[in-house]
Amino acid sequence: MRDTTPCNSLYIPFDCEITAITDLTPREKLFRLIRSDGTPLGHLPGQFVQLSLLGWGEAPLSIASSPTREGYFELGVRQAGQLTTALHRMKVGETVGVRGPFGRPFDLEALNGEDVLLISGGCGLAPLRSLIQYCEDRPQQFGRVTILHGAKSPADTLFKEELARWEASAEFACHLTVDSATGNDCFTGNVGLITSLIPPLTITPHRTTAVIIGPPVMYRAVIAELKGKGLGSDRIVVSLERQMRCGVGKCGHCTIEHLYCCQDGPVFRLDEIEQLRGAL
Amino acid sequence: MKRTLTVCPYCGTGCMFYLVSDNGRLVGVEPSSSHPVSRGGLCVKGWNAFAFVHHPERLTTPLIRKNGTLEPASWDEALDLVVARLTQIQRQHGADSVMFASSAKATNEENYLLMKLARAVFQTNNIDHCARLCHSSTVTGLAETFGSGAMTNTISCIDETDVIFVIGSNTTEQHPLIGSRIMNAVRSGTRLIVADNRRIRLARQADLHLRHTNGSDVPLLCGMMHVIIAEGLADTKFITTRTENYAALAESVADWTPERSAAETGLEAADIIAAARLYAGAERAMIFYSMGITQHSHGVDNVRCVASLAMLTGNIGRPGTGVNPLRGQNNVQGGCDMGALPDLYSGYQKVSDPENRQKFATAWRVPALPASPGLPLTRAMDAASEGKLFALFVMGENPLISDPDQHHARRALENLELLVVQDIFLTETAALAHVVLPAACYAEKEGTFTNTERRVQHLCKAVEPPGEAKTDGEIICAMAKKAGYDGMSYASQSEVMAEIASLTPSYGGISYDRLAPHGMPWPCPTPEHPGTPILHHEQFTRGRGHFSPVSHSLPREQTDADYPLVLTTGRTYFHWHTGTMTRRTHLLDREEPTSFLELHPDDAARLSIRHRDRLLVTSRRGSIQTEARVTTMVIPGVVFMPFHFAEGAANCLTNNVLDPESSIPEFKVCAVRLEKLP
Amino acid sequence: MKQLTPHELEQFLSHLAVRYELRLPILLADGTRTIGSPDDGSVVLHGGAVPGKPTAAFFPQQDTIFTASQGTFSQTLPPVKPLCILGFTPADLHCLRFIDRFFGDGMRDDLYFRLRQGAVVAGITGYCGVRGALLPPAGGNCDFELFWSGENWLVRAYGATGAELVAELPNQATPKEEELFTQALATAPDSGAILLQTASQLLRTNRVPDSFWEEIGERCIACTGCNVTCPTCTCFGVLDWRSATKVERSRTWDSCQLDGFMREASGHNPLGSAALRSRRRIHHKLAADPLKWGEISCFRCGRCDATCPTGIGIMAVAQELVARFG
Repeated sequence: MRDTTPCNSLYIPFDCEITAITDLTPREKLFRLIRSDGTPLGHLPGQFVQLSLLGWGEAPLSIASSPTREGYFELGVRQAGQLTTALHRMKVGETVGVRGPFGRPFDLEALNGEDVLLISGGCGLAPLRSLIQYCEDRPQQFGRVTILHGAKSPADTLFKEELARWEASAEFACHLTVDSATGNDCFTGNVGLITSLIPPLTITPHRTTAVIIGPPVMYRAVIAELKGKGLGSDRIVVSLERQMRCGVGKCGHCTIEHLYCCQDGPVFRLDEIEQLRGAL
Repeated sequence: MKRTLTVCPYCGTGCMFYLVSDNGRLVGVEPSSSHPVSRGGLCVKGWNAFAFVHHPERLTTPLIRKNGTLEPASWDEALDLVVARLTQIQRQHGADSVMFASSAKATNEENYLLMKLARAVFQTNNIDHCARLCHSSTVTGLAETFGSGAMTNTISCIDETDVIFVIGSNTTEQHPLIGSRIMNAVRSGTRLIVADNRRIRLARQADLHLRHTNGSDVPLLCGMMHVIIAEGLADTKFITTRTENYAALAESVADWTPERSAAETGLEAADIIAAARLYAGAERAMIFYSMGITQHSHGVDNVRCVASLAMLTGNIGRPGTGVNPLRGQNNVQGGCDMGALPDLYSGYQKVSDPENRQKFATAWRVPALPASPGLPLTRAMDAASEGKLFALFVMGENPLISDPDQHHARRALENLELLVVQDIFLTETAALAHVVLPAACYAEKEGTFTNTERRVQHLCKAVEPPGEAKTDGEIICAMAKKAGYDGMSYASQSEVMAEIASLTPSYGGISYDRLAPHGMPWPCPTPEHPGTPILHHEQFTRGRGHFSPVSHSLPREQTDADYPLVLTTGRTYFHWHTGTMTRRTHLLDREEPTSFLELHPDDAARLSIRHRDRLLVTSRRGSIQTEARVTTMVIPGVVFMPFHFAEGAANCLTNNVLDPESSIPEFKVCAVRLEKLP
Repeated sequence: MKQLTPHELEQFLSHLAVRYELRLPILLADGTRTIGSPDDGSVVLHGGAVPGKPTAAFFPQQDTIFTASQGTFSQTLPPVKPLCILGFTPADLHCLRFIDRFFGDGMRDDLYFRLRQGAVVAGITGYCGVRGALLPPAGGNCDFELFWSGENWLVRAYGATGAELVAELPNQATPKEEELFTQALATAPDSGAILLQTASQLLRTNRVPDSFWEEIGERCIACTGCNVTCPTCTCFGVLDWRSATKVERSRTWDSCQLDGFMREASGHNPLGSAALRSRRRIHHKLAADPLKWGEISCFRCGRCDATCPTGIGIMAVAQELVARFG
């Protein structure tokens, strides 16, 4: 390599300090971060960052907190590969690298005044939380806000306290379910797939927008239910997970036909992608 | 930007490419567009062959174990220690108390040098290499039947054959550029028979796919030979003029009716008949085989049957025919050719022959050479665990992961008074060593590799070795010097080749100046000789081809109520053996990041196992954890695992029973049970 | 338009080598051609496209993104002498134009432009293709092109840098030579271009069944050669190498023909079969890129067809596709 010097590049991360770590489930933790230089991240709900751990590479992670919660941002991270395992071993006060925020956020303007139906499955709640918190903080911007969340089991449920708060809140309607529960769980809530929460809802299709984030298997079933309720593809919004390596539309790992999930998404209106192979 | 024409370090196909380097650092690969085998293409390992070379985990300095941990040392310190300990152990326990494991990854020159070091300097025939684990049964079986244990024909012969019979070779994954040639031939009309119970890619394109049970190759091949003889499809002219012992063969297959063969193999009699007719009916037919034939407790018998089938139909000695064992390692052919074998000098000259010993002793300027054959590598492990072998010098092998029955291998290695490992990374085996010597990798040295079609090709140096690492050849010669032997100093590798040529008839005419650009196939006895692409043309190496009848034996371990499934092991396309290089190559490791086990949906359903479930796999030797891959690649009752992964190591399970003649382990069959993990 | 004899071209090249790091088609030991330094092989401008990815000059197979040591990041500086690359065919120049746009669009890829910025690119055209075949004039997409008339190199410059570089060349092309160039420029689009347009149309109107991609996928041995040699393939993976003193992050050419390319940590894979991956490889160039960039991103350089061990390069596939579904 030729002489090297510090340099300003698209691919160099900035430092962020971990200021809090919360266990969400045995496999998931919530990391609260601040930029080491004190500036705000400047994100909008629905965006993601490339989290960088030197020696372990980078991973795209959705931002789990709303920009209305000023002074920090949060990432909900499931331990899945080497990088996330290394991250899970880190402690408060340690520094990680971040690039971003990247991607198209939720279209808050389009949601203005709408009834919003926020549907998440499993760890899809983490990215959706950025929007839920936003709704919580700016209730005047939205009509009726309904939260639906499905988890695999009571133990796999993320953000239990917040869910309880949203369930109790007068601002929101919030309905939860788990795929299965055992006697040991002492669980008294709904048991059933997330799709079972939709039929009882009263939806006004022309002023409702649904947002869905969850595991790949969830989308089709939930979309079918919503369409059954009269919701058009232009009123359904999804956020897609892909293995972005760069976040800036170059590496090619997140393409969906002609779209780059990291730039054109990760938030898409269903009518933009439902005809594309491999999108859902 | 510099480009260095060299040879791929992975499989025996021997593709050549240019390593692209910039300021001493490799930055890419470009295929040789005129290479006769790869013809401008490469497989995914070849395209990524530059990517592990500068990995930060490369060994850069000798290491000596002090108080239990490996600590950096100088070359002098390390080599003094190795030589002193070897000498001391030999003095105490005899010359044959030490063993040298050579490497099919190292060059011909380095294999020759280690063989010379063992025999001339340390006066032992205890030298062997990993050919023991892959094609020792070929060397034994084909030497007996043809007189030469190598691929008889060229890879280009694929373009001019009518029928290809692939048995026990997953060619598109293990020799991708050869497999591709076969696929192309099939698209242009060549007929294809595949005998392999995995539904490999070639099987999916075959005219006939025979999914015979594991270890039933002898019944299958004898059944085919029975049909050929019974239906008058044998080449009687070839049999009379070129072979011997035909009557004994005919008698031995007389009762292998298609029905009996079908009963033993699990096939339909009609398929055995169809295969026999298709193969024997061809004007030119090629057989390709690999570990599926060789890695059995009756591996030599399998090879004998393959040889008989080809001779019976006259498919030897002409273009587009032949018996073609596909050699696994880039230089496993060369490792054998160079005499990194316990009973043979280079060129397959027997150590038991006093004339050979005299010839080598004279050339090497030593008074005498040991007469009795040494230990095969696979028996060395037994000897070590029994306290009969005290020191093992390993060059570029990782037996802890590659040998059968890992617990046994570990016990054996831990039992040694001295384990020296010379390698490019700190392998699992090196981590157990008393002394570790850092070696240069293929991109950092010069030499020759001999590919599966016996093509001796020139390996060229593209970049410098990291840190203090030295080439295997330099290390060996330095050891010889430390041991007080002055017959191993060479100005260049081509000088080593000149010595090899002077002592090895089949390499007699080979010198570096003749190898540009793409090498030449041995036998090449004289400097004027053009090389020999096709063996046994007018007569067999041994004179007449010898039919060797065999009797049928089953794999040593059978399934039972406790271990109800057959485990067969192998490799994947993306990794190489124990993963020393490929698991440090980003794209390859990403592709197959972890150990897995293939099982049939029927077995999966019966055991309530789902795709990607964690499994506990147990054999009589041990247990490992792995991940389920539910697939129709395998037949019900049989599960498959690759052996690349140190975590979830298939060789924890395999059975260390050996073919009595070749000492090859039965990697292809053992009995296991599965349990689903929470 | 200027004109150079082969000998004068040599002088012109040595003149360029003063200001630029010169790279051009050279012949290697075994007859393989590549774009390299004139010190590393004999210069052979005739013979058409080199087999390797020509855009590797700016987007190498492996490239260091940064080195981090004790909290400091460092990156490789741009070369002191910018590159001057000869040897792009007209097709290659289209490819370069395409990826210039790709890397420059939106967030500008500084690693690519570190090498690309300030580099001079010259096309080689004329009657110097394989066995003297005509490589039609580039008519742009480069700083200047060298057009082989059969006797001389005609030099046409494009843009300010090109004009400046050739300004001092003494000899003007003759009217006859100008005429030869103009005639060649008017060559009708070849049948390959029409084939790809037809294939593109079939893909965009969903006329190619999945069973076709299953057949192609079955023939793909995942060597990745198609992506590795393609001048418009820009996908990369990122890897970290960690040692005691530093971490080096690099990017390396990646391939959409690998299962791991889009596989997610959960195991879910939007491109989870060889059929889907084969479809993506062709669809991306012929259908997705036209939607995003307004043009087919295969310029028929022929490299994937040449390197593919099993004969499923893009032209071969397009031919099969048009023959069966057109």
